[in-house]
Amino acid sequence: MAYPYRHEKETRILSEGFGDPAARTVAGWKALGGYQGIARALEIGREATIDEVKASGLRGRGGAGFPTGLKWSFMPKDARRPHYLLCNADESEPGTFKDREIIRWTPHQLIEGCLVGSYAIGAAHCYIYLRGEFFESTLVLARALEEAYEEGLVGKDIMGSGVDIDMTLHVGAGAYICGEETGLMSSLEGRRGEPRVKPPFPAAVGAFGMPSTINNVETLAATPHILRHGGEWYRQWGTEKSPGTKLFCVSGHVNKPGNYEFPLGFPMMELIEDVCGGIRDGRALKAVIPGGSSVPIMSAEDCRECSLCYEGVEAAGSMLGCASVIVMDDTTDIVKQVRRMAYFYAHESCGQCTPCREGTTWATRILQRIEDGRGTEDDLDTLIEISEQMTGTTICVLSDSLAMPIISSIEKFRDDYLALIRRGERVGAA
Amino acid sequence: MSEARFQNPGWAGNTGEFDLTEADVRGSDFAGEPPLDGGHPSVAPSLPFMLVKKDPDAPLFEGPYLERFEKIRGRYPTARAALLPALNLAQELRGHVSPETMDEVAGLLGLSDAFVRGVATFYTMYNKRPVGRFLIQVCTNISCNLCGADKVLAAFLEHTGTELGQTSSDGNFTVAEAECLAACGFPTCVQINSRYFEDVSVDDVPAVLERLKREVNDGF
Repeated sequence: MAYPYRHEKETRILSEGFGDPAARTVAGWKALGGYQGIARALEIGREATIDEVKASGLRGRGGAGFPTGLKWSFMPKDARRPHYLLCNADESEPGTFKDREIIRWTPHQLIEGCLVGSYAIGAAHCYIYLRGEFFESTLVLARALEEAYEEGLVGKDIMGSGVDIDMTLHVGAGAYICGEETGLMSSLEGRRGEPRVKPPFPAAVGAFGMPSTINNVETLAATPHILRHGGEWYRQWGTEKSPGTKLFCVSGHVNKPGNYEFPLGFPMMELIEDVCGGIRDGRALKAVIPGGSSVPIMSAEDCRECSLCYEGVEAAGSMLGCASVIVMDDTTDIVKQVRRMAYFYAHESCGQCTPCREGTTWATRILQRIEDGRGTEDDLDTLIEISEQMTGTTICVLSDSLAMPIISSIEKFRDDYLALIRRGERVGAA
Repeated sequence: MSEARFQNPGWAGNTGEFDLTEADVRGSDFAGEPPLDGGHPSVAPSLPFMLVKKDPDAPLFEGPYLERFEKIRGRYPTARAALLPALNLAQELRGHVSPETMDEVAGLLGLSDAFVRGVATFYTMYNKRPVGRFLIQVCTNISCNLCGADKVLAAFLEHTGTELGQTSSDGNFTVAEAECLAACGFPTCVQINSRYFEDVSVDDVPAVLERLKREVNDGF
């Protein structure tokens, strides 16, 4: 067995080359059909490239789910000022580990995606912002990019088309907030990674004050396939509102965690029970966080009928986010896990906005107090009140991202909190 | 469970389970040794490395490092944008970024000392104090935490005889807590200098530390 995260039900578009060291080379990637997507884009022209991506219905895979083709079409059409494509490879949402797999196994898939994106928006320079911790995967991508330059696939006159596209790998230095698009731009410019007020939107005033588009790794990696086979081809998978396939990162208490690629709309319980081999030690499901730590927690009951597409998870009371499914069994101490998440957001708050800077720290202290058995029932009301004041009151959504798990966990697992508050009893293992 | 434990390829110690070698999984044979001068300019800003060998008095910058610094500067429309890669480069050489280092980098890029200090202290990966030969960062965020990361962190502290954030008396190890390292399917993930060790359990900790000690002796 080469790569263990395989399941017969998978639809492998993005993950075809995972586990195959040969796919890291230009030759290996071409053998999988690589660099045909950018070739077709160069043939059909900018507008048609954007139209093809629009037709595919591809939505941003970084969490927000904004239609990619539409985002590209916001870029100004004139070329008087430099345009930039920024690839967001600052993968740091707890529970998410898909972009790293794309980068380390199929670096050319990302490079080709960046070429398609750059060409479509008229950018002559693309910066790939990688998180600083990705030393090993960055080295793989760096070697691949050097090879792409050697082969004339990147740089001046790419593939003899007369189009120039440069690419630069830029690494961050450890800050979750740099995954937020305007925070990423600030960081790229050499500043603290503080998000900026929108508008102006990046398509008007982006990196270095120039029109810019920011796309996630998985989004860009999907575009060469769409260009090669056409937008309609991509729509054969997924739902009307969520077309295509998606990498699902399953972690937590399942027997076979990992990255699995399925059409959007795949049933959540089938993913957990069948593909991932069920809950470890044959235990019962307690809760699932379906889209990385920043979305509302779902109870086992909520999961039963949930299908994993943008609208399906929303109907079940949460959000698909970046499809990072964190599974928790019935031994899970929810209060401890919410406190750990709160600590994370307090640590990563950039400190610009008061509701976030103060709120995340305050909430962490209250949750710690409850976990230590010193909480009161009033604390739960205070937590809800703080969370409500942290929602929609700040420049970016970092504080909203903590408010959602706090509010949803108190709604759905109030008994766990009350057991600690009233009787000092921890529910689940420590 | 009676079934054998499902093993991940990311964890070097377990790769015997699969056709893939550790080098295959890490991509180290493919990537090769990162060149000191940064290689092609497009990748020069991306090659910061946390090394065992640290020289707090190393000059900023000379020889191949100066070449890399010049390549980095050429990749951005402003001097300021080279700040993070330049700080990375300084840390690669010196092992940490002291206030004096921050000021030196400020001078090189024509930025104010105060601005650079503000930026450098914003990011967690800049070590503000010297660290051991190996900086061991254990992810204790949610996915790893659900699978016992707290116990793995405690085991690293116990076996290195250190407190959180302190360096062991032999200068080999500094153990710290890390936020999500994006390897959630392979818990617990531990970042040691530039490498990820994945699927690390409490029982694996002594073997990991032994391996690191051997690497110090081998002059890694």
